Amino acid sequence: MSILKNILTAIRGGASEVGEAVIDANALRILGQEIRDAEDAIGKAKQSLTNLKASEIKLKRELNTIHKDISDYESKAMQALEANNDTLAGEVADRIAVLEADAAEKNAEHQNLSVQVNKINSMIRQREKTIQKNKRELEKIKTVEQLQKATSTMSTNFAATNASEHRVSKALERVKNKQTHWEDRMEAGEWMESTEQNDELDTKLKAAGIGGATTSGGSSVLERLKQKKAG
Amino acid sequence: MSLNELAFKLNAHQTDEGTCFDAVLSDEGVLEVICSNNEEFPINIVKTETQLLAITPLFSVAEVQVNKLSELNEELLLISPAIPLSSIGRQGETYILFGSMAINTTLDNIIHELEVQAENTLDVLQVIEPLLV
Repeated sequence: MSILKNILTAIRGGASEVGEAVIDANALRILGQEIRDAEDAIGKAKQSLTNLKASEIKLKRELNTIHKDISDYESKAMQALEANNDTLAGEVADRIAVLEADAAEKNAEHQNLSVQVNKINSMIRQREKTIQKNKRELEKIKTVEQLQKATSTMSTNFAATNASEHRVSKALERVKNKQTHWEDRMEAGEWMESTEQNDELDTKLKAAGIGGATTSGGSSVLERLKQKKAG
Repeated sequence: MSLNELAFKLNAHQTDEGTCFDAVLSDEGVLEVICSNNEEFPINIVKTETQLLAITPLFSVAEVQVNKLSELNEELLLISPAIPLSSIGRQGETYILFGSMAINTTLDNIIHELEVQAENTLDVLQVIEPLLV
């Protein structure tokens, strides 16, 4: 059964404070220890499996060599028969019989070993799946524990501020005001930047003698007055 | 990355949208992060062996108007799927907004999550504010 049901039961039962066990603390420690033990066991099983697999490969190689020898001696026995040397052919046949017996023995051993390797391999995989599942279960409990820890600080603050109503509304209002203030500042910044850009453009135009300034200095006023008098 | 290291990196960071962070690691191992786009509702970060959890406590059951709890729960369930990257839940007597990330997630992802969560908090609270005292 999933541990989530236990968690729900514990929470409904009021296990909401930090340090308060979601499930029995001993059970949690046991689960953690079981996972570690199982991982150690799997590590050792994998080591054994490696050794078994090495033996299996070695046997297979020996078997191949024997089969090759048998084939070689068969060829030689045929050559002896063709040379009408039945005595030598008989001796070779005896050797082949010994090799075949050896091959049969090693073959049986190899097959047993293969079955054992596959069985252990499958057991390890199955066990690994169980460990992963247990780890995920443990993670659920730890998640709830961490959630409790993270929420407790603020819950204390809630308790302190519950006396004042509209806590959330007031907080939202403050955020809104800050955002408005920030937007105002952004707008002001953009306005300033735009103004500075306009000033710069005017300076460039003036320097280029375009759209000259209409302001008149004292000298231009005196000139205008002289023209007026002459006129 | 440890929470201490994360605090250091967050404090030195500013997002493209101009959000900056004020992160403090408590003695209890909770990293409290205040995002400049929502300074009223801090985000608490904790970690397990596989996850980083970002949690914003929203309000307590006691702050819900009398007889409005069912309506509030229904509204929260309805809006929850529409909230990007965050989920709504209840921890004891406290309603929370939370997001979880893989423990090996990048700093950029964490920052994005925090920025979005700070915004989500405001969005959610604005929706359910009429049901609170």
